[in-house]
Amino acid sequence: MAMRNAYVDQFPSEARLISAAFWSSFLALAIGGSLGLVQALHRTDYLRFIDSVDYYTVLTAHGVLLAITFTIFFLVGIFTWAVTTSLDRGLEDLRFSWAWYAMMVVGTVLVGVSILGGVVDSIDMQADVLFTFYAPLQAHPAFYVGLVLFVVGTWLAGADWFRTWWAWRGENPDERIPLPTFMTLTTTLFWYLCTLGVALSILVLLLPWSMGIVDSVNPLLSRTLFWYFGHAVVYFWLMPAYMMWYIMLPKLSGGKLFSDPLARVVFVLFLLLSTPTGIHHQYLDPGIAEGYKFIAMTNTMFLLLPSLLTAFTVVASMEHGARQRGGTGYLGWLKALPWRDPVFTGMALAGLMFAAAGFSGMINAGMNINYLVHNTWWIVGHFHLTVGTAVALTFMAAAYWFVPQVTGKQLWNRSLALGQVLLWFVGMTFMSNAMHRSGLFGMPRRTAEPQYQGFNFEPAAGTVGEINAQVALGAALLTIALALFLLNMVMTTIGGESDAIPDNTYAGTLSGPEDAPVVLDNLKLWTAIATVLVVFAYTLPLASIIDAGGLFGPGIEGFQLTIGIDPAIVLESVREVMP
Amino acid sequence: MASATEKQETDRVREIGHDEYDPVGTAILIGIYFLILVLLWLFMYFVEFLGNGPTVVGALQPVLLGVGLA
Amino acid sequence: MNIHTYEKVWLAAAMVLIVGFIATITYGAVGPGIAMIDDEAGSIDPAEINDDERFAEPGVEHVGGNEYEVTVVAQAWSYSPAEIEVPANSEVTFYVTSRDVTHSFSVVGTNVNTMVIPGQVSEMTVQFDEPGEYGILCNEYCGEYHHTMEGKLNVVPEDEFDLTELSVEAPDEVDAGNETTITANVSNGMQEDLETTATLEIGEQQSERDVTVAGDSTEQVEFTVDTADLGEGDHDWTVTVDDYEESGTLSVVADDGNASADGGDGDA
Repeated sequence: MAMRNAYVDQFPSEARLISAAFWSSFLALAIGGSLGLVQALHRTDYLRFIDSVDYYTVLTAHGVLLAITFTIFFLVGIFTWAVTTSLDRGLEDLRFSWAWYAMMVVGTVLVGVSILGGVVDSIDMQADVLFTFYAPLQAHPAFYVGLVLFVVGTWLAGADWFRTWWAWRGENPDERIPLPTFMTLTTTLFWYLCTLGVALSILVLLLPWSMGIVDSVNPLLSRTLFWYFGHAVVYFWLMPAYMMWYIMLPKLSGGKLFSDPLARVVFVLFLLLSTPTGIHHQYLDPGIAEGYKFIAMTNTMFLLLPSLLTAFTVVASMEHGARQRGGTGYLGWLKALPWRDPVFTGMALAGLMFAAAGFSGMINAGMNINYLVHNTWWIVGHFHLTVGTAVALTFMAAAYWFVPQVTGKQLWNRSLALGQVLLWFVGMTFMSNAMHRSGLFGMPRRTAEPQYQGFNFEPAAGTVGEINAQVALGAALLTIALALFLLNMVMTTIGGESDAIPDNTYAGTLSGPEDAPVVLDNLKLWTAIATVLVVFAYTLPLASIIDAGGLFGPGIEGFQLTIGIDPAIVLESVREVMP
Repeated sequence: MASATEKQETDRVREIGHDEYDPVGTAILIGIYFLILVLLWLFMYFVEFLGNGPTVVGALQPVLLGVGLA
Repeated sequence: MNIHTYEKVWLAAAMVLIVGFIATITYGAVGPGIAMIDDEAGSIDPAEINDDERFAEPGVEHVGGNEYEVTVVAQAWSYSPAEIEVPANSEVTFYVTSRDVTHSFSVVGTNVNTMVIPGQVSEMTVQFDEPGEYGILCNEYCGEYHHTMEGKLNVVPEDEFDLTELSVEAPDEVDAGNETTITANVSNGMQEDLETTATLEIGEQQSERDVTVAGDSTEQVEFTVDTADLGEGDHDWTVTVDDYEESGTLSVVADDGNASADGGDGDA
């Protein structure tokens, strides 16, 4: 045991915290992922055991548990690992750290219970509002309170990482910020910037309205504040995956990171441009002038730059590793990569899927082409490649390395892990290509039924039946992959301690921080510029929305559109509104 | 921090430094990716999108090309 | 900073790609003239929709020439009107708003697609060159029965399109021997004059009247019916104007001085 130098040996207390965060994440993945299968089989009409009206409760849980809970619990674990490992010092005060973790758990439970109330009669709550909770659809106040607690928990986690860095800087005033810590801090900074929007929306608009303190809401305002946060949040999930590609993939390939300076440039660009892009989710919204949409598009398009740079740097680092391992030729080196390693292969396949997602993202970013794809199944195909594969598959592959690190136990079954990442890739290929294609002939997202009464969808190529079959098959493969992942995690955790855990290390660099201009480490400067860009992008649209509709809107009350609870009330209100 | 970076890699057969390394394979792969992006973009915009008319047009703007480009 | 030559080339290529994308989108705006949904149509209080000039009676209106306006009110879980008919070779401006939650108004298989947000009016101008039948669906979750929210848009050949409406006023019963009147109200929603013929068929008789209805107005066409020609009994009648017709039954009853006989507005 003395020779072993895993994370758990270096930072045993932090390892327990990270373990807890990972398991919270896996639990959310297990529930949210299984619900995904229920939806896929229901909407394609292969197997139905819920009522179509309950589909949306299931969809809300799927979205919140996977997009928020699974991703963010995992990334607070990764970021805690990154800061402590790269600064080589523990967190300042573990009681504080457990407090933010507990806050995130309580927030999740509140949100989860309020969503569950949509299908369980004994819980007198509902939150059938989907992941986007667009007002005037209204959820129980517990849903909003839970979201706030969860977000504040992540704020405190960010504060924890900053505290650790400040303490380190006090002792190392002249050192460059180690790359993993740099990545964590820049990501945390734009997370603070973007979550201000959703926090304002919930605390000022939605929570008081759901509690009856104010009796109206401005739907476009709360929607715009949601998307102010809603696009940056995708980079919040993505940055830890990027971190893994930058600091783990080169090492796993047997080489070094090609360029530390460019990695810093990339993360600075994400800090600058993640937030002033949110209006690209509102290209088809009334009440926002075309000029503001064009500005959001320009920012979004330039946000492609850091991702395109990442593609080069990461592949070049892998090639470096492959050539050091004896790989030769223009492309022959690809064979020298460690394809039998599930951690490497999972991350590499996730990166490959992200290249495809990059393309559909470029389409989504294009302002007027949004008429073609907006709110169609294309969008769902896109984000199942991004958060559902680039992030989720990278996290699962990372878990095969991290869980042994934080538990001191060897991965239960490496071959199973390799099969699992391949299966995820194959399953997502089926599901995502079908979703993308169906969007092009107008199949909508977020609906419980495969077809409508008065018209048929007319695909240019293929058939609706073939699309549905691919989605159902893909979802089934993904669920099997999910089960295999969880099995491997459980068996690893209940296994015995092992001496064969690799050292806790990350990749070295070919061109190191000494080549990076010092100004890149000036976080205050970049935060200030990021804030200015946000002010430019959002002041005028928000002012015109508030000017037109008022802060609280023109007397718009909450809707909980269900006829299951009391049909009489709904029928009466329908009669009232019929002209 | 240096202690945390990888020093030993058992299956490494040679050491390649930054200056002696040209990522030519990466350049080829990324070049192929670039071509795919350009071609798919053109296909999506001019065939899938502009061929999917009718499309929302400005009431006062001249319509030079109509909507049935494909 | 130590950047490899390949990486500099890639950086330049990436910038070309980004600028090319923005250029394509800009071309779409100035070439084919694609306009985004914006804030031009202003805001509206959802509680006031029934009193709103534009939305009180949603439907198709002729503006002039080949221009039409279509107003649509979306609500859980339907559109009003549920079925829209416009002619081919037309320029149609849609105004859509919501009575309750956020919906969308998306014409399947086209690039006509907008969010419909309560408090806001979405305005879209669309040119329909060819006849066709399209489905309309809501692609934003709007409550339990979201998946049932749909409508139809029919683009019909120009010569099959009009905005003519016919309504007929006729008595149910008339005393034998009296004359009575069947009145056809022909309204013309188009801005141009409508020249047409109204036809009444009753029993074995048929009468025709040519009528010219000015743009955006209504004309009354009166047919005088003499019961003497019909005889006692029930007589089916049909008024026809172009493709529109309305039917009913007129009972001619014996005027035997019985107090119960009370029909007819004749003057004999």
